[in-house]
Amino acid sequence: MLSCKDVAARASALIDRELSMREALQMRLHLIMCRGCRHFVRQVRLTDRLVARVANADQPPDPGPEKLLAILRDKRPPGR
Amino acid sequence: MRNRQDDAALVAGLVRGDETAFRTLYARHTPAMIRVACAILGDRASAEDVTHDTWIAVLSKIDGFEGRSSLAGWIFTILVNNARSRVRREARSISFDAGGAEDGLAAAFDGRGRWKQMPELWEEITPERIVAGRRLADHLLAAIDALPPMQRAVIVLRVQQDLDPAETCRILGISDGNLRVLLHRARLALRNRLADLL
Repeated sequence: MLSCKDVAARASALIDRELSMREALQMRLHLIMCRGCRHFVRQVRLTDRLVARVANADQPPDPGPEKLLAILRDKRPPGR
Repeated sequence: MRNRQDDAALVAGLVRGDETAFRTLYARHTPAMIRVACAILGDRASAEDVTHDTWIAVLSKIDGFEGRSSLAGWIFTILVNNARSRVRREARSISFDAGGAEDGLAAAFDGRGRWKQMPELWEEITPERIVAGRRLADHLLAAIDALPPMQRAVIVLRVQQDLDPAETCRILGISDGNLRVLLHRARLALRNRLADLL
């Protein structure tokens, strides 16, 4: 029987589907019975989603892409 | 994972000099590129330089992109190589170790491994929510930047940029087992920070 500590240690593996069938089953059994661990696993999943959503929340540096766009324009075939 | 069709359209756009394709890619990857370069180099100014040089390399080499890796994987490979050669060139000594050996939960359990205090359900959690006078997004970005370098690189590539595990290992030169440990520690450190805030 897994303890809550064991479940927390395997939370990432659960999310990334890296547990063996046996381990996954043990986790599921524990999660059915333990509200704290269900909340914990949801918190870790939510952390992932928040991390993904704030990915570009910070500003790119000055001067931004403008200098690079000049290089891109040079790539265009003549006449465009 | 982002699909290869999307990649192919962006690559075709860059090859014909399409600004919209470039702006899309630039906005999608630049903050993450700076964050990963900063993890390797240790300072933001150098990280911005290396990121700029990486975009120049991407634009000049895009015709040769063969799609053997994802476009993001290819861009981050160039970035990490550039950052590492700069470290060598400037003879910087950067400790790029895992750091943070603990998962920060040691005190959370009793002697039988049960929660001392049960984790609660987080409700209405959005990046826009204001906590302690700052947006949650700002707290979270600060927490990412406070992670040990390798954990920071791993969480940015795997979770923010959605690169697959094999590609992430190849770019950073780490083993699969190492990746799992780093990702788990990074996730838990960020989860613990959010739990403190909420």
